[in-house]
Amino acid sequence: MVPAEKKLTWQIDAKSSYFDFNLPEIISYRHLLFRLVRKEFLVNYQQTLLGPLWILFQPLLTMVTYVFVFNKIIGVPIGGKTPPVLFYFTGIVLWNFFNDSFSATSKTFRDNIHIFSKVYFPRLIVPFASIITQFLRFLIQVAFLIVILAYFMVFKNLKFTVNAYIFAMPLVILVVAMISLSVGLIFSVITAKYRDLGNFIDILVRVLLFVTPVIYPLSAVKEHIRWIVQLNPLAPLFELFRLGLLGEGTVSPFYLLYSIIFMIFSLFTALLLFNKQSSKLIDVI
Amino acid sequence: MSETVIEVENISKLYKLGKIGSGSLRKDLQYWWKSSVLKKEDPYFTAKEIQPTDNEYLWALKDVSFEVKEGEALGIIGSNGSGKSTLLKIISRIVQPTQGQVRGRGKISSILEVGTGFHFELTGRENIYISGYTLGMNKAEILRKFDEIVAFSGIEKFLDTPVKRYSSGMYVRLAFAVAAHLEPDILIVDEVLAVGDADFQRKCMGKMQDISGKNGRTILFVSHNMQAITNLCHNAIWLQEGVIKGQGLASDVVESYLSSVKQDKNEIRWDSEADAPGNEWVRMKSFLVQPLSDKNNAFITVRTPIQIEVEFWCYIDDCDINVNVILLTDTGECVFNMGSPSVEAEKGVLSLKSIIPGNLLNNGIYTLSLDVIRNVSTAIYEFSKFTTIEVEDVRENMSYFGKWPGIIRPEVKSYLNFK
Repeated sequence: MVPAEKKLTWQIDAKSSYFDFNLPEIISYRHLLFRLVRKEFLVNYQQTLLGPLWILFQPLLTMVTYVFVFNKIIGVPIGGKTPPVLFYFTGIVLWNFFNDSFSATSKTFRDNIHIFSKVYFPRLIVPFASIITQFLRFLIQVAFLIVILAYFMVFKNLKFTVNAYIFAMPLVILVVAMISLSVGLIFSVITAKYRDLGNFIDILVRVLLFVTPVIYPLSAVKEHIRWIVQLNPLAPLFELFRLGLLGEGTVSPFYLLYSIIFMIFSLFTALLLFNKQSSKLIDVI
Repeated sequence: MSETVIEVENISKLYKLGKIGSGSLRKDLQYWWKSSVLKKEDPYFTAKEIQPTDNEYLWALKDVSFEVKEGEALGIIGSNGSGKSTLLKIISRIVQPTQGQVRGRGKISSILEVGTGFHFELTGRENIYISGYTLGMNKAEILRKFDEIVAFSGIEKFLDTPVKRYSSGMYVRLAFAVAAHLEPDILIVDEVLAVGDADFQRKCMGKMQDISGKNGRTILFVSHNMQAITNLCHNAIWLQEGVIKGQGLASDVVESYLSSVKQDKNEIRWDSEADAPGNEWVRMKSFLVQPLSDKNNAFITVRTPIQIEVEFWCYIDDCDINVNVILLTDTGECVFNMGSPSVEAEKGVLSLKSIIPGNLLNNGIYTLSLDVIRNVSTAIYEFSKFTTIEVEDVRENMSYFGKWPGIIRPEVKSYLNFK
């Protein structure tokens, strides 16, 4: 007799599920993930004059501009005893992390359709690679930030004591990363379907910068309009980041919890939407 | 009996033509509200209601079912737009079917283009890794195959040069080399042999034969090269406008496919003498070019004899007349002249029959011209290039699939052995 037929182990259906989250499959493609991260670095800095130094130059130049425009010309009060250079650089580094991660993940479909339409692999690998790339860049910038901080302590007699909030840093980074990933994923699906919304994203991000405490501290916002900034789930994270690194910031547990809940909610929405839509979108783009 | 590794069940794929999606966010939201929240019948689309004739929709595939056994090499043929690529994309999980399902066992890798995952800025070495991982190799596989891939592609010297500086031939070789060293349980290949030079194509075909023959892997193979299909695949499926038109032994399916797309007869009849080409001495009445074969719907191959029949109205007498039919290559060089014997002319219908033996012509396109000659000296009528003959290729037990060189291809007896 013929031995019992071996089971057919996989199945492709006409319907895709919201909950089709196959973690072992993603893990089996981890080498692709690392290669994609490596590719980002290699491709971005090949045939450039300064190479990877751009990772530092870009925030440095932005910082110089901000110090000049917002501090010297307009005179935005930053309060406290922190030198403007450190104040702005801290905000810029975290903002860049959010901004670059978000804009990279929101282009997941648009920029990779030529690969997605030719070969199957778990699509989440691509946005994950974007986030990891941005995270590495962020780490390099943070290291540079610490160098600047050390400079101010040694040569400018800046009094700085490490406070307990430094231990909240991993949480801040995680929440910022997850918010940018999930909002980016949601927009990657939406803009693949409705292309014109891509323009909207740029404006949205620009507006968001102004309601995030990057160029001003939350404490400098007038009481009666402070709620606008506090509505932004990123705001407490930026304040906490400064509090941890520079010892100055306004953080309340309530708003921090609000950010975390926002993160969980958006992450769920993003993964469900992405699972449901990612194979359908290939026909649409 | 080997076991089923892929089971395709009633797969259909519907594409909406023109505007994709319903076009506006408002409509989509409305749709979502009605179908998902209110659980009403889909207001815009129910697959059942759509007729195949509906202009707005296109069934790229319609109720396609088949099974693939372990170790089987299955060819998929059909004209452009018949749904071959859509089928492969569904089995590869790239697009979703509209209806039906596919079940299977084992790891699938698909090569739907050459160079998937390649990045022009990166070096050859980097690209081997990134493309290998993209196509589904794991780390151990790549490390094990790396040297083999490099050797197969022949780009050792340029391994650390960015791919953008490669010639297109080098690029294709490297890209194919990566793909050719995949070791999935099921390999899906879509028309990738159409690239590269003849030499490289031969190398690729050899590799493909190794994969299916020696290694016994399951292969789904789409190609327009019927030779490649019959040589590589045991079974084949013929798709036409999204439905399976034929299924079975590769050679049978290929033959019925070819006879459907090739005109088996090449015939023109002129009903009225006034419209027919000719002059005051002779006018064409008809000609017919067809393969001499026992089978119905046969087509002209390098094996079949070709029969040429021509009829004229002849208006002269008192002289001898003979007809030369001239076979030319598609570039216009004369291959040979088929002279007829002379006959005494008389008014009426003159008919000529010439047979070109089989196993003589190469595959390709030939044209026919004819001259009517009076008294073995003066051409009284020339009808040049009145029709073309397309000769199909047939090869067996051969791993070369490029164009056979030469104008003719007679059956030559050759013996090769060591003394």
